Amino acid sequence: MTKLSRRALIRTGLAAGAAVAATRCASPKAEAPSGTPANPATSPEVNTNQTKDVTLRLIGTGVSQINEIRKKAEEDLGFKIETRALSTEENNQIAITQPGQYDLFDGEYFSLPLVVPSGNLQPIDISKIKEFANIVPIFTENKFDGAKVENAQGTYPYKVMYVKDQDSKEFASEATGWATLIPFQYNADTLGYRPDLVGGTKITSWAQLFDPEFKGKTSILDIPSIGIMDAAMVTESAGLVKFGDKGNMTKAEIDQVTDILKEQKKNGQFRAFWKTFDESVNLMSSGEVVLQSMWSPAVTAVRSKGVECIYAPLKEGYRAWGGGVGLSKNLSGIQLDAAYEYLNWMLDGWMGAFLGRQGYYSAVPENAQKFMSPAEWDFWYEGKPAAEDMVDPFGKTLEKKGAVRDGGSFKERMGNVVVWNSTMEEQVYLVKKWNEFIAS
Amino acid sequence: MNSSTSVAPSEIQPMLNQLQQELSAQAVGVTLRNVTKRYGSFTAVENINLEIQAGSYTCLLGPSGCGKTTTLRMIAGHEEISSGDLLIGERRVNDLPPTQRNTAMMFQNYALFPHKTVWENVEFGLKMRQMPKAERASQVNEMLEIVGLTKFADRKPAKLSGGQQQRAALARALVTRPQVLLLDEPLSALDENLRVKTRSELRRLQKQFGMTFVQVTHGQDEAFALSDQIIVMDNGRIDQIGTPSQIFQRPVSRFVARFVGDNNIFMGKVREVTPNSVQMEVEGIGTLLCCRENQPAEVGDSAACSVRSDSMSLRPYPPDDLNAPNQLTARVVSIEFTGYVTRVSLLSEATGAEITYKARSDDWMKQPVAEGQLVSLSWSSDDCVFLAH
Amino acid sequence: MTKTWKTYQPYALALPQTLVFLLFLILPILMIGLVSFWQFNGYAMVREFTLGNYTDIFTSNVYVSTYLNTFKYVLLVWFFCLAIAFPVAYFLAFHIQNQSLQIILFLVCTVPFWTSNIIRMISWIPVLGKEGLINSLLMHLNLVQEPVTWLLYSDFAVVLGMVHLYSFFMIAPIFNSMMRIERNLITAAEDMGASGWQILREVILPLSAPGIAIGSIFVVTLVMGEYVTVRLMGGGQSASVGKLIQTQIGSLQYPLAAANAVILLIVTLILVIGILRVVDIRKEL
Repeated sequence: MTKLSRRALIRTGLAAGAAVAATRCASPKAEAPSGTPANPATSPEVNTNQTKDVTLRLIGTGVSQINEIRKKAEEDLGFKIETRALSTEENNQIAITQPGQYDLFDGEYFSLPLVVPSGNLQPIDISKIKEFANIVPIFTENKFDGAKVENAQGTYPYKVMYVKDQDSKEFASEATGWATLIPFQYNADTLGYRPDLVGGTKITSWAQLFDPEFKGKTSILDIPSIGIMDAAMVTESAGLVKFGDKGNMTKAEIDQVTDILKEQKKNGQFRAFWKTFDESVNLMSSGEVVLQSMWSPAVTAVRSKGVECIYAPLKEGYRAWGGGVGLSKNLSGIQLDAAYEYLNWMLDGWMGAFLGRQGYYSAVPENAQKFMSPAEWDFWYEGKPAAEDMVDPFGKTLEKKGAVRDGGSFKERMGNVVVWNSTMEEQVYLVKKWNEFIAS
Repeated sequence: MNSSTSVAPSEIQPMLNQLQQELSAQAVGVTLRNVTKRYGSFTAVENINLEIQAGSYTCLLGPSGCGKTTTLRMIAGHEEISSGDLLIGERRVNDLPPTQRNTAMMFQNYALFPHKTVWENVEFGLKMRQMPKAERASQVNEMLEIVGLTKFADRKPAKLSGGQQQRAALARALVTRPQVLLLDEPLSALDENLRVKTRSELRRLQKQFGMTFVQVTHGQDEAFALSDQIIVMDNGRIDQIGTPSQIFQRPVSRFVARFVGDNNIFMGKVREVTPNSVQMEVEGIGTLLCCRENQPAEVGDSAACSVRSDSMSLRPYPPDDLNAPNQLTARVVSIEFTGYVTRVSLLSEATGAEITYKARSDDWMKQPVAEGQLVSLSWSSDDCVFLAH
Repeated sequence: MTKTWKTYQPYALALPQTLVFLLFLILPILMIGLVSFWQFNGYAMVREFTLGNYTDIFTSNVYVSTYLNTFKYVLLVWFFCLAIAFPVAYFLAFHIQNQSLQIILFLVCTVPFWTSNIIRMISWIPVLGKEGLINSLLMHLNLVQEPVTWLLYSDFAVVLGMVHLYSFFMIAPIFNSMMRIERNLITAAEDMGASGWQILREVILPLSAPGIAIGSIFVVTLVMGEYVTVRLMGGGQSASVGKLIQTQIGSLQYPLAAANAVILLIVTLILVIGILRVVDIRKEL
């Protein structure tokens, strides 16, 4: 581990000491590890003389947290980028209430129903995005070779991908020339488990989180808006609740889910709840919990401690999330040009490869592939056994030669997404009920 | 203690009488035999032998760190005795806890419990002895009557004057009917005026009750005023035991001579020893004739003697007989009028040693000598005390 | 002129402190009070007056049970802190004669503060966890067949964590009180026949009361606002008012969190006033 920065520690979830900054990790993507700066990027076709004095302020939860990406972007683009790493909540709040504070907004798709109506983001002219047509169609057309994901519930990206026109604050139901965010990072989340501690039981369904066999050995996420999605997957799989739309529950549905959670808590089903990345890693690696909702890099962190951990592909499918970068309404002139340069650079492949080495998917996989070794590509995207040790940008070995990615290939994993992280209309009610559950 | 006790109202008198009888009937003496106190390698008190008579007032006198307080605390039982025996009355009490020694202690600054009322403070000892409540109450009330603090029974110590605090402390000490009262510098917290007044009250009370009082003090005036017997201590040892006048007039050591007052000390060689006198040769001054009681002395020893500053006579120089013993020539350096006494500082012409002379001011006025004048000092051999060490 | 200056001097001296106090304590509290009457939606505050936040709190079982749970922690932590702190302070103050050893041992009491709170909390896992030291020992000695799970992520763990953390806040003022007790008083009590226990009950305990009161104020106020220990040691399953507020802040429900903070402040002040009514602490200040 060269360059053992504090944030690097958090991202890999290695040292308990990093937990001090634990709140930073509250968002699923905060801990993306960085990739090796492999090949120099191809120069963007811009006049760098014009934009070299520009400074763009980037707020966010994803790329904003990774210095290596900022440095590489500055190097390639020739202008300065200032980043502010925030939790999902802070990020949304600033995006909504303090538009003067940022030029670029790095946020999640499920935040858009809150952010876009504020009018603080200016629609992105997709004609200026060179690679727009090559972006994975999950985002641009809600298509994915007819896979399950096309019918996924929740705040699926396509639902909030476009606005009606250049000045609109309303989402368009069809593709228009005006996008809200340009995606750069997304993943499919599921349950993680300790194969050595589940007594030989195969974990194949979300419902098993409530299995009496694992009484006192399970955990879920104590962030209301994400935890409720995992809880919805579990209760629906167990046949306990039927949802109209898991991504936008009614009060009655929220009541039902939280009542079941309370009952399970009372029965001692849960060992603990976790709020930060580190906690989930510690719970799993210490054996306190054998089955829990988890984020992909947390599974990697557990494994890197030499502890077996599987990110279970479940028959009901995955819960997904996606992140992208949008433009502040303040941008104009050369600043706006620079911002478009950044968006184009993002899709260029270097960043996609960087994030790909942690298991995140890139918006334009073909470009990321150009910056990855064939072995890396085969392992992370194709679901093939690793032809060599998989190494992260700091030289840390994440997977040994011969390992296979849990859940398999990009198509198998993203294709099986059934629900996306969501902002519900009943958000206030949800938090209230969630507090009741925790306090019960 | 205050005027209300000396002029006791009629209802107090019977109580007082009874207490007086009880206390004087049980008063006992204290005996220390070869008592030593060591703290690790440090010896605080070394091999002390001491007899304190029943019903007497004894003061342990000495500078701080001389072992007087340690001795008192050993008697009280707050310090263990390293070796030797301690008897209170006829009982060997070495290993008994304080409460079984029938002693009571009055502390420096009184050590009244600040969170308890005067009443509760006085009650404390009885409560600890598990005396029944009703009996306790009547004894406490009686004692407060006697010391004149009935009105203040419900006050906390902080709301009392210094004298009242002292009376409360005394009441607390006496209420358990001790055989011996041990007092650790009980007057040091009072101002000068009150101290003198309280001092005589203490003495009067001790006489009245016929109790054995043992007090620690570093003030010679206090010791002289109070004691039947003074024990002068230095460096963990007893230097001298005696009545106040013995200590004052016949100090046995240089330490006592210095500590108890304005004594002039001369160092020299022993020339001749008789049962009652010693003749010493002091360089630059000549022959001194000293009286001797039973201090050991050998011809040729280096020794010292002391002459009280108020028992010398001062005449203008030159004297009648320049070769007479017990005289020296000195120059007046300063004259202090202090009221009854005038104090004169002089320097010996021959040795440069500092000499103090004191005279009744009335006498001094009759024949004053100016500063800078040369004078001759002389004394009788009865006033020159041979010091053993 | 000089007279005027003399008159204003004390005020001038108090001014900086007063300003800091107003700016960084009173003003924020007033703002919290103000915000607690605002409305909010899913992501932002709406500057319109409402009593809804308060009626929500006073009509919901969650808040009642959360407050009760918090009180339970306060009571238990206070009790155990006192039970630990009093003997420790007593030992330090009365049994250690060597002053430098006294200082060293007193500093040893601060050891829990030498590492960050979160590291300290995480370090409990290898001790109390299913595969932790205590469970390994118990299993090894055949005292239990299955790991004891209530050691961690339970009320027990929460109380343990907080006692570990806050004992010192009790030890320090009690120690201070005890050091101020004149040694003569103890000798005097002994002289009057008091046993060790009687001295403790009649002299040391009442004279340490102000220290106990100050320590209690520390512990009570700290535990009332606790959320980190509650979350980490309780494994997120335990509720406290502080944690409730934290969740609401995390969900951008500032007005509701502010209303809770105002109530928490009032309740805590009532507790502190209650303690002050029982014991007069002025002589310690």
